[in-house]
Amino acid sequence: MAQPLVKKDDDRDDEAEYSPFLGIEKGAVLQEARVFNDPQLDARRCSQVITKLLYLLNQGETFTKIEATEVFFAVTKLFQSRDIGLRRMVYLMIKELSPSADEVIIVTSSLMKDMNSKTDMYRANAIRVLCRITDGTLLAQIERYLKQAIVDKNPVVASAALVSGIHLLQTNPEIVKRWSNEVQEAVQSRAALVQFHALALLHQIRQNDRLAVSKLVTSLTRGTVRSPLAQCLLIRYTSQVIRESSNNTQTGDRPFYDFLESCLRHKSEMVIFEAARAITELNGVTNRELTPAITVLQLFLSSSKPVLRFAAVRTLNKVAMTHPMAVTNCNIDMESLISDQNRSIATLAITTLLKTGNESSVDRLMKQITNFMSDIADEFKIVVVDAIRSLCLKFPLKYRSLMNFLSNILREEGGFEYKKAIVDSIVILIRDIPDAKENGLLHLCEFIEDCEFTYLSTQILHFLGVEGPKTSDPGKYIRYIYNRVHLENATVRACAVSTLAKFGAAVESLKPRIFVLLRRCLFDSDDEVRDRATLYLNTLGGDGTVFETDKDVKDFLFGYFDIPLVNLENSLKNYEPSEEPFDLNSVPREVKSQPLVEKKAPGKKPTGLGAPPSGPPSTADAYERLLASIPEFADFGKLFKSSPPVELTEAETEYAVNVVKHIFDRHVVFQYNCTNTIPEQLLEEVTVIVDASDAEEFSEVFSKPLRSLPYDSPGQTFVAFEKPEGLPTVGKFSNILKFIVKEVDPSTGEAEDDGVEDEYQLEDLDVVAADYMLKVGVSNFKNAWETMDPDAERVDEYGLGPRENLAEAVNTVINLLGMQPCEGTETVPPNARSHTCLLSGVFIGNVKVLVRLSFGLDGARDVAMKLAVRSEDVSVSDAVHEIVASG
Amino acid sequence: MILAVVFANAEGNILIERFHGVPAEERLHWRSFLVKLGSDNLKGVKNEELLVASHKSVYIVYTVLGDVSIYVVGKDEYDELALSEVIFVITSVVKDVCGKPPTERLFLDKYGRICLCLDEIVWKGYLENTEKDRIKRLIRLKPPTEF
Repeated sequence: MAQPLVKKDDDRDDEAEYSPFLGIEKGAVLQEARVFNDPQLDARRCSQVITKLLYLLNQGETFTKIEATEVFFAVTKLFQSRDIGLRRMVYLMIKELSPSADEVIIVTSSLMKDMNSKTDMYRANAIRVLCRITDGTLLAQIERYLKQAIVDKNPVVASAALVSGIHLLQTNPEIVKRWSNEVQEAVQSRAALVQFHALALLHQIRQNDRLAVSKLVTSLTRGTVRSPLAQCLLIRYTSQVIRESSNNTQTGDRPFYDFLESCLRHKSEMVIFEAARAITELNGVTNRELTPAITVLQLFLSSSKPVLRFAAVRTLNKVAMTHPMAVTNCNIDMESLISDQNRSIATLAITTLLKTGNESSVDRLMKQITNFMSDIADEFKIVVVDAIRSLCLKFPLKYRSLMNFLSNILREEGGFEYKKAIVDSIVILIRDIPDAKENGLLHLCEFIEDCEFTYLSTQILHFLGVEGPKTSDPGKYIRYIYNRVHLENATVRACAVSTLAKFGAAVESLKPRIFVLLRRCLFDSDDEVRDRATLYLNTLGGDGTVFETDKDVKDFLFGYFDIPLVNLENSLKNYEPSEEPFDLNSVPREVKSQPLVEKKAPGKKPTGLGAPPSGPPSTADAYERLLASIPEFADFGKLFKSSPPVELTEAETEYAVNVVKHIFDRHVVFQYNCTNTIPEQLLEEVTVIVDASDAEEFSEVFSKPLRSLPYDSPGQTFVAFEKPEGLPTVGKFSNILKFIVKEVDPSTGEAEDDGVEDEYQLEDLDVVAADYMLKVGVSNFKNAWETMDPDAERVDEYGLGPRENLAEAVNTVINLLGMQPCEGTETVPPNARSHTCLLSGVFIGNVKVLVRLSFGLDGARDVAMKLAVRSEDVSVSDAVHEIVASG
Repeated sequence: MILAVVFANAEGNILIERFHGVPAEERLHWRSFLVKLGSDNLKGVKNEELLVASHKSVYIVYTVLGDVSIYVVGKDEYDELALSEVIFVITSVVKDVCGKPPTERLFLDKYGRICLCLDEIVWKGYLENTEKDRIKRLIRLKPPTEF
């Protein structure tokens, strides 16, 4: 590319397209670095060589230890030069080389000299280099100079010392904390950047001292802050103070709110955003407080700068999670962002709209999203799919259009993760919205007709096998399933055979035809497919040789494998080959520290298709089977409800115990899950002694001890009580863990023969009214309410006394009754003075109950509640009122 | 923390990179992620027009200047707004040092000077200086004018 017209000011014009570093090679540059040793230093040449070294380092080239040391020593020679440009390069080069501790000493004296130099800029740079390469011992020597530097007249020197302080605080906090007087002085500096750096350092030094931070904020919010950056810091610290003080002033105003609000009118966009974000993140922010922040954010939505649009929509997206109503004003602006060039902005806009949209806007929104979906990447699509799933669960009546949308995007191109997200969403909708089931299953059927992912095909086939037979016309799914046997790989074919068998077992009328299909599979080319077909033909149509009853067949086909694979693996490893065969029933069913796992992942998204097979069978099913395996509980009848585990010990104690309350019609069984966390102990004959003196209507009928509880291998002990039939009897139980403890030799793992009896106090346990209520939702509350007999309705009014706000009152009543909130009515709009909450559930004795709660708040923050209950049994309606009256 | 400042040429080759608090084994991932981000989105973008993206809890602000694309990655207090401040300083000093939006050749010619400027702007992951005139003096070891 010749450029003949360019002025020839040096000799490189002819090679304008070539890099000045073309053909650069480490060895040659290291050779060149020898010029650093020349007695007559050529400053220009040296600078060029340093530039080359920097280029090499930036290209990812590494120097060996010897090379680095050599270069470092050579560079230190350059301190002799008085050339200013070269000196600046030397500072940078030393930092880049980050010499080891034994080398540092070579430059320390030169740097110390520079630190005391009359030239300000030497001082500043020497500080920065020293702080980068120094360790604690050297720091103590130079501390005096650093403290001086912090209050230096030259802002560059002061900033260098302050920023060094911020870094050194990580490694030598005790030294840096001694500088707070100087830093405090620097906060008052007239130089904008010095103030910014000083503020950051001062806050870090004092961050654990609430009072000091509060004082700092108070003084600065009244004074002047010189740079927008410092102003942003101040806003952050202010919101920290607000968070920690948390109580409003007597007038009801939030402290410092006025300051934040005034920052919304700052001339710097950065400050405006910081203030808006701080306001939106205030605890229990009110609509009145939110409005000005939302208004400025709304303006930024139509900014010409993508960064500002992004920042605005990102903040609004967060607000929409907690205060969807406050954001609705911005919906029109956000809709125009759906077509934003920047896909991050568009996706945030969409997901925000999905959160703030109301039922009537769903259809319009879906139309817009359809156009948008085709030109974004899969990772954005997954975010949208997740948002649509939540929307559908919020507005179950809209399932038709949302389900259609999901099925449409399912047909389009996409990677595995994206398809999996869609399939998971459809499965969740099918589970949670009964009306959506048939429609959804058909969509899944169509999908597997042309699905390239074996994993998804098999998961859907499995799901079809469970849900399909329960539909009104199971026959229509058979074609899709049987097609798989012809068209797919062996894994999918085998899975299709199992699904066919499930239909055969569950739907008597289909059985003969399923037999025909299964017989055809006997000639499959794959042995697993043939084996399964043979097995199912024999189990389903057998002469009773394989399974005796129809129930056995169903248990076999539909049963879960409820033994955690980890436990099975451990047991198999411990099994020593002997005459005695391995007994599957000896494998512990309890998953190690299961409640802890649940706690750690509170926000974990529900995985759509079947829980992972290795996971614990968390459903009531698993409990039911566990209890059924204990003969003493056989005549208790059907299990009504099992509570989530309640911890009876603090975290990280010697023995971890939690309890699950199993409710039967006339009995309550406490299942104590115990874990021994001491490797040197073996516990035997573990029981829980329950004192029921505060639970008069309960009488203990049976206690099943745990024979042995080795280290880190959970086990269960049970205690059963009898109680009045069908009544929500409540009571308080105190518990003591009793056991024989034996010492274990950690080297051999063998326990001593003799043990000592011991006890361990556990926390108390309550059986409450909510334990007798199952959370069962209804898809359309109004319909369900109207179909219930109005004569069985019981209405009464209650005063709940003074409360912080309505949301708290609503939550308390929901928890007291243990019922399922319907149609999102558990969320109370902030600052609402009245609210209606709809609940549904099934009461012990399998009686459907619906509750309509109307709350009102008066001036003195007293909450009044009207409770209307309809149920299939008047006495249950009365019982619900009793629960509330006594709660 | 400013996690990274990366300069790349039009072909996606790295010219300068500065990482702070990013483990060495993750840098390759970041390099290729940023370069891909640029090749997907920077075509036809005007000089200094800022683009923004977020990846997990990390923000990225990037732009193009002449033949060079510039990426700044940050997290926590260095969100998209703070980063746009950082990248504004960087683009203005690069323009200043090169006299115009640079070709790759021009950028490499001024390589040493640009490295010095960067050293004044970002100090181990924190923003230090923000004004181009001041930086221009600082890299020549001259005190700032306002002093």
